[in-house]
Amino acid sequence: MRRRDRYGRRRATTVVAVTSAKRAARPGVVWGLVFGVTIAATMKSYTSSFPTAASRANLLRTFQGNAAFEALFGLLRHLDTVAGYTAYKDSMTIIIVGAVWGLLIATKLLRGEEDAGRWDLLVAGQTTRAGATAQTALGLAVGAVALWLPIAVFTAAAGSGSGIDIGVGASFYFATAMLAAVVMFMAVGVLVSQLASTRHDANLIGGGILTVSYLVRMAADSDSRIGWLRWASPIGWIEQLRPLIGSAPWAFVPIVVLSAVLVVVALRAAAHRDVGAGLLPARDARPPRTLLLGGQAGLTVRLTAPSVTAWLAAVGITGFVFGLVTQAAGRSLKSSPTIERVIARLGANGAGAATYLGFVFLIAAGLVSVAAAGQITAMRGEEDTGHLDNLLVRPVARWRWLLVRIGVGLGLVVAAGALTGAAAWIGAVTQHAAVSFASLLQAGINIVPPSVFVLGIGVLAYGLWPRAAVAVTYGLIAWSVLIETFAGTSRINRWLRDTSPFLHIRPAPAASPDWRAASWLTALGLAAAIGGVVAFARRDIEAA
Amino acid sequence: MLDPSTAAVRTEGLSKTYGSNQALRSLDLEVLPGEVVGYLGPNGAGKTTTIRLLLGLIRASAGRAEIFGIDCQSDPVAAHRRLAFVPGDVSLWPSLTGLETLHLLGRVQGSVDLAYRGELIERFDFDPSKKVRAYSKGNRQKLILIAALMTRADLLLMDEPTSGLDPLMERAFRECVSGARERGQTVLLSSHILSDVEALCDRVAILRAGRLVEMGTLAEMRHLSALHVEAEMDGAVPDLSGVAGVSALKVDGNRVECQVTGSVEPLVAALAASGVHHLVSREPSLEELFLAHYGSADRDRDAA
Repeated sequence: MRRRDRYGRRRATTVVAVTSAKRAARPGVVWGLVFGVTIAATMKSYTSSFPTAASRANLLRTFQGNAAFEALFGLLRHLDTVAGYTAYKDSMTIIIVGAVWGLLIATKLLRGEEDAGRWDLLVAGQTTRAGATAQTALGLAVGAVALWLPIAVFTAAAGSGSGIDIGVGASFYFATAMLAAVVMFMAVGVLVSQLASTRHDANLIGGGILTVSYLVRMAADSDSRIGWLRWASPIGWIEQLRPLIGSAPWAFVPIVVLSAVLVVVALRAAAHRDVGAGLLPARDARPPRTLLLGGQAGLTVRLTAPSVTAWLAAVGITGFVFGLVTQAAGRSLKSSPTIERVIARLGANGAGAATYLGFVFLIAAGLVSVAAAGQITAMRGEEDTGHLDNLLVRPVARWRWLLVRIGVGLGLVVAAGALTGAAAWIGAVTQHAAVSFASLLQAGINIVPPSVFVLGIGVLAYGLWPRAAVAVTYGLIAWSVLIETFAGTSRINRWLRDTSPFLHIRPAPAASPDWRAASWLTALGLAAAIGGVVAFARRDIEAA
Repeated sequence: MLDPSTAAVRTEGLSKTYGSNQALRSLDLEVLPGEVVGYLGPNGAGKTTTIRLLLGLIRASAGRAEIFGIDCQSDPVAAHRRLAFVPGDVSLWPSLTGLETLHLLGRVQGSVDLAYRGELIERFDFDPSKKVRAYSKGNRQKLILIAALMTRADLLLMDEPTSGLDPLMERAFRECVSGARERGQTVLLSSHILSDVEALCDRVAILRAGRLVEMGTLAEMRHLSALHVEAEMDGAVPDLSGVAGVSALKVDGNRVECQVTGSVEPLVAALAASGVHHLVSREPSLEELFLAHYGSADRDRDAA
């Protein structure tokens, strides 16, 4: 097919596919790299943390047959091998994150474009509604391939390392199995974009399908007598592929059939429905709900409530899972001098449940700071869309609007920290781990200051240079996590180490919190936020 | 109470520069309380920049701007208590319904005439139960118009307020603005719908390339501008190219059209000498006045 006509113009038949492919491939590569690096790091850390057959056998004894772990992370097989450990530790996370990404990118490129009104322009050109949808699906497929490549390359490269011995074929099979979740939920996204009349509703339906799939798989994995239920869940099908711990390629059949059927049904739906409307009846009218609409502060709370709730649920679940595995993980740490060294470099000593929690709470600090960064994205979004103008042309002071936003961010990180601690305690108690509620609550509060610092820097960037605020905030988190990782695995320059706010807190409950350092971090964050408020009050508000 | 001695809008040397681009150059503008002033100019002339400066959304590079004597750059909140703004490109929270949006914006503004809000909803035939994301462009425009008008603010700043409205709703809009003027409200109306400006405005300001090039009542502007003359001669049309004040000459058989600046006496004398059969003259419409300024802008560009 010629892609350009004789005047050198790109043929209309490929424009949507090419644009969609570009928009899907960029984040696809990024996620592929994240997954690939994670897989390679898992393999590397396993060989260094469990170098002997005895330590691996101990790990196997610790986790094997734990129904709670199997329900959460999938079946535990061959934990005494690099392949089995990697499959257990990374598969379910990659499947879930990949499925969520696949769903979101599909609804963004389809229903999101309709919500923005750009779809009208596309279908008014030299294509049809079904044609444009098919081209977008093709672009999404390119994005999926872009995600597959780094996973396959990193798995194969790390798998060829000494003492690992995972072949190229097994690596590519594993990468393809991980891709299956992305592809299926991209197809779900393509279909729900035809069903729902807004992207928000499409994501809700798709998210519901993903949740049910996960819960069915969870039930199947928690009791071997109902293991057949795995065939009733798309996520269960991926498990049936047995990536890295065997090979059962016939499980690709339902995956391919489901994806194809969803896309075909979606294309037929796209051809027969009105642009801008979904097949399901829209809930566009309702009686007014004026709760929290009495002013700017209430509006901010109302607008941010869904994302705040989602973040609190995410950190709560994370904390609970941390607590759930505390006892077993603590036991396995005792057989690993490497992990002891890592934890010692991060500021704690010893082994056991408290040490493990101190280690994972540093990871939770990163998650909570991403929640704080989300508030900067939301602030920027209000200005970018022009919604903020509606408030600032009325008697609302700029500083007041921003202070309320900062207040919501601070409330979120404090609640997230406390919830992480409380949820970890609940998880730990179910496994009879000897940790007190007070110590875990303190550990939860201990991870708040780095997030306050991130929030403050984000607000400062927003006040001074709004277009770069989101990049600056997430860049700070990425840099800090990178430094934290290096600091755990090797000796690094002290100045470099000090650039990460996560390394200014101590890994509670493995060590007593350093409240002085935490106060400094908090004070610096608040000072940066005040600087951001002052700059915001003086700069131009960007027109939408 | 309005103080008649204090201008509703006053700018002195107001300027805004974006990098090397001078969006607004030393604007001196005064709008008196109770006036309806049209604010015209081609795209990029600086109209929206002026309004965003008056709203305190952007910072002035030089000069000052006041709303009822309040410096709207240093104390925008106090200025906003006296005004309501209607943008041409509306962006509202999509998950709120029309009524929720009106409730919110009314509470944020602080004062709302609820009875008038109901009247406006009826007058604009607006369904407030729908979510904003379900509204068409025209309906979103009605929503933001109602939100501004229901406040009965002393000053209404309007930037392309009828964008997306159908002719019936445009008529409703004109009635609302006329009603606002009768109540003593001040209106600064930036619009490309020249018929709206001609019908509603007491005075007109024309902006070009960031500069105010004309300001006055329509009568004053017409008086200073060229008169359009059409004549039908008994015989051949005489050579009028040398007649004082005559321009834009068009001859078609025994018919002639031209513009006359200043006294019409030399033209009338020349036509009478050749035997004029029929003579019509009329003042320029606002569109012609406006296009005359566009024309001079084009000439400036060509010369550059």
